[in-house]
Amino acid sequence: MGNYDIQVSTESCTGCLRCQLVCSDLYTETFNPSTARIQVVTSSADCSIHFTEACNECGVCVDHCFHGALQKMKREAEK
Amino acid sequence: MTVGGFAGSVLYVDLTHGKIEKEPLDLALAEKFIGGFGLTVKLAYDTIKPGTDALSPDNPIVLGVGPLVGTNLPSTSRLYVATKLPSSETIGWCGGGGVNFGYLLKNAGYDHVVIEGRADRPVYLKIIDDEVEICDAGYLWGRGVEQTCEALWKGFGRPTGVISIGQAGENLVLFSMAFIDRLSTLGRGGFGAVMGSKNLKGIMVKGSRGIKVADRKRYKTLSETFLQTIRDYPYLKEWQDLGLVKSFPMIVPEETYKRMKKRRVACVSCPIGCKDVVEIPDGDFQGLLKCTSSVLNLYTPVLYGFKDYRESIRCMATLDNYGLDMFEFFGVMGLAKALVDHGLISKDSLDEEIIIDSLQSMEIWARNICYREGLGHILAGGFKAILMEFGEEAKKYAPPLVKGMHPYAGPGCAISWDLFGTMELGQVLDPRGPHVGSGGSPTYFAKRPLEVFPRHLTRMGAPKEAIERILPGLQSPGQKPELRVGRLLRYSHRWFSTLGSLGICVRAAINRFYNAALCAQFYEAVTGINTDLSELGRRVDRVWTLLRMANVREGLDRKAEALPEKWFEAPGFKDYLTEKSLNRQESEEMIEDYYEEWGWDRKTGVPTAQVLKELGLTED
Ligand code: SF4
Ligand code: SF4
Ligand code: SF4
Repeated sequence: MGNYDIQVSTESCTGCLRCQLVCSDLYTETFNPSTARIQVVTSSADCSIHFTEACNECGVCVDHCFHGALQKMKREAEK
Repeated sequence: MTVGGFAGSVLYVDLTHGKIEKEPLDLALAEKFIGGFGLTVKLAYDTIKPGTDALSPDNPIVLGVGPLVGTNLPSTSRLYVATKLPSSETIGWCGGGGVNFGYLLKNAGYDHVVIEGRADRPVYLKIIDDEVEICDAGYLWGRGVEQTCEALWKGFGRPTGVISIGQAGENLVLFSMAFIDRLSTLGRGGFGAVMGSKNLKGIMVKGSRGIKVADRKRYKTLSETFLQTIRDYPYLKEWQDLGLVKSFPMIVPEETYKRMKKRRVACVSCPIGCKDVVEIPDGDFQGLLKCTSSVLNLYTPVLYGFKDYRESIRCMATLDNYGLDMFEFFGVMGLAKALVDHGLISKDSLDEEIIIDSLQSMEIWARNICYREGLGHILAGGFKAILMEFGEEAKKYAPPLVKGMHPYAGPGCAISWDLFGTMELGQVLDPRGPHVGSGGSPTYFAKRPLEVFPRHLTRMGAPKEAIERILPGLQSPGQKPELRVGRLLRYSHRWFSTLGSLGICVRAAINRFYNAALCAQFYEAVTGINTDLSELGRRVDRVWTLLRMANVREGLDRKAEALPEKWFEAPGFKDYLTEKSLNRQESEEMIEDYYEEWGWDRKTGVPTAQVLKELGLTED
């Protein structure tokens, strides 16, 4: 389990893929949305956001979402 | 250091012979012309044979995305096209926020695509990384932009970038457009017809390779500081929520917007997101969902007299789906109506009355034009065809025309800006024809105090000496300051070319955060190519001057850039500063100032041998 609990609000998502860009760069040193651990699919009025198995909940994508579609909450450290 | 940013290949497609070739990007050339818009112009210059007919197979379509596209720098999705445009008969650019198409093309491995020839049947171009194929588009032909996109998304899943035309482009309507991901327009001047003339219904792209930057450390430092500036911007949320509605509440009331807004849409990497998905909340068209490059566009029919905004949205849904340029459509319909009213077209010859503020009438006429039925066949040829058909007498009733097209900003036009700033003058001096896209400057806002100009001009890359020429007297106490709009426009074009060549969006909401010095730094960090501010300026000047040369080669002369006579009739334009009526001599001087500021011949607008030499544009 990672450091953050990540919540999504699909209705605020613009499909800008800033989250995918930063995630891919962070873990592959290449901007490549197709390898990101968060995947956003938008179509007209609909949007879905999901995280792949590889996501370690580091929370960096949340910091790069300018539209308030991702929020993170720090998890209590496990005893 | 390895070169970053660029995808590294140019795709050449010959539709006549069904040939597809992939060539490595010439990095020396990319450096010389920056990339994106700049290299698109260069490839067009090299590929278009002088005098080529815009709708002939010989006219190539050159597409390009800049070196920053695909990174996470804000709003770096911009896509450009250069080709000979049939309406203006000039070599012009079309550009738009690249939505998904821009980054996917880069991720597929291509900085540019050059499409030549004509397919012998309707086709679309499929690009999935290395798999490039000319595919049968029989099942898409005859469909609107919306349905074409939906069909390709259904077939290939999302994300898939799609450029497509509607029925207007298929039937070579001279004011047809193409759409990017059915949201952004590649527009005015008839680009849709250029695609249609090639039997090219669309281009779809998927890519999975990724983009690397050359200097990661510098990139990180620069981009983090820059992102923080945007986060700290006090009006960010307002721009994100309302976009242009914020600036034009008199056109789109905020309450109405909120009622119909479904979501905002952003091009990839954009922290603003100026595009809209709206749903008509009630009335006859309740539930109609419309995706648009700006909710403001949906109110265009209101500017031409529609009373009900819901009918206006429905009308725009129809025009966009056909792939028609809304301003030219209403301009053409206005002229047709005047010709009927004055007896040059007989009322009895029409199956449907022309009523500009009626949804039903406008939808029928849009259809007649797209399918070239009855009088629609003539109207589809735009103003030039109409004036040719109905003769000298018809000219009286035509709106002001520039390069055969209808300027949309000015007195008596759709957008009734009456102060003569760079965007207004730019409608005459952008080779592509009347478009305000490249003419942005502080004069975008009315009555800005001159004191704020120097800061913006520096941001746009104007050197100190130029600022003194643009604003004589501003720094001299006791002297009345002046504003030289022509000289200023030269730097609007420099700034436009800078942003476009890097791949940054030109819209005011985002370009306000960028400045030329920062652009040079980002370019260096991403590509690894040494580029300081003055060198970037030189390369950008090379780009716009080459675009000029491409058109001089086509015969563009001072006459083609004459200001329309109707701009000097009441109510006419006003001087930006003094608000006095603009007279012809003053405005002609602005044009000459513009040429001179570029180092082009003051009278003819032809770049001088010396300037060509300085910019490295002489043929060797
Ligand atoms: S939380 Fe971290 S790993 Fe997971 S998607 Fe976001 S950036 Fe990637
Ligand atoms: S960064 Fe935020 S708004 Fe953009 S696609 Fe990701 S979740 Fe959506
Ligand atoms: S401001 Fe609009 S057009 Fe420009 S990148 Fe953002 S969403 Fe696209």
